[in-house]
Amino acid sequence: MAESDTEVEFKKETVSKVLSSFFREDKTKLSGDATLLMAEMLKVFVQEAAVRSLKQAESEDCDQVDIEHFEKILPQLLLDF
Amino acid sequence: SVDLSGNLIDNVCRAVMRSSMPFKLLKAAVHFTVGRMCHSLGEDHRRTFSRQVIAAIAETTFRQCDIFAKDLEAFARHAKRSTVSSEDVKLAARRSTALSIFIQNKIEELKNQEQRDLKKKNTGKRKSRDTEEDSRE
Repeated sequence: MAESDTEVEFKKETVSKVLSSFFREDKTKLSGDATLLMAEMLKVFVQEAAVRSLKQAESEDCDQVDIEHFEKILPQLLLDF
Repeated sequence: SVDLSGNLIDNVCRAVMRSSMPFKLLKAAVHFTVGRMCHSLGEDHRRTFSRQVIAAIAETTFRQCDIFAKDLEAFARHAKRSTVSSEDVKLAARRSTALSIFIQNKIEELKNQEQRDLKKKNTGKRKSRDTEEDSRE
C-alpha cells in the first residue's frame, strides 16, 4: 500500500513557476509537454538522491539516513544530471 | 511619459513578484514534495530520513532547477525559439543514457496520448456535425 497510494509528484504549476523564475529573459516560456517532462525529470532527480542516500546508509548499517550519507553520494549524483 | 512610468512600475512589480515574494513559497513547495518523496521511499526500506537530509536534497534540487532552466533557455534560443519544447528537455537529459531513454519514452507516451485525444475530439466533432445536419433536415 505504501508504495502505490498515488505516487508523490511535483505539481505542474510548481515546476513551471520554479523554472520560469530562473529564466534570464521574460519572454522565455515553457510548453505544456516540456513542463510535464521536467516534472518527471525532477522526480527522478529526487528519487535518485534519496535512494542513493538510502543505500549509503544501508551499507553503513544506519537506521536513519543522515546528511553524511547524502554528502557521499552528492558528487556522482551531480555528474549524472 | 505617463505611459513610460506606468511601464516602469509594471516592470518593477513584475520583478518583485518574480523574485523575492513567491521565491520562498516555491522553495517551500519543492521542500514539501521532496519530504513526501523521501518519506514514501523510506517506508519501503524501513528507514527514516533526517530533517537535515531532506532540507539538503530540497536545496540541491532547487539549485539543479536553476541549471536546468538556464540550459533549457539556451537550447530554445539556439533553435531560435522563445518557448522551451520537449526537444530541449531531451537535450537537457543527455548526460545519462538511462535518463535520456526514460525521457524519450515519456515523449512517445505524450505523443500517443495527444493522438488519442485528437481522434476522440475529431470523432466527437463529426458526430455533432452529423446530428446538426440531421436536425437541419
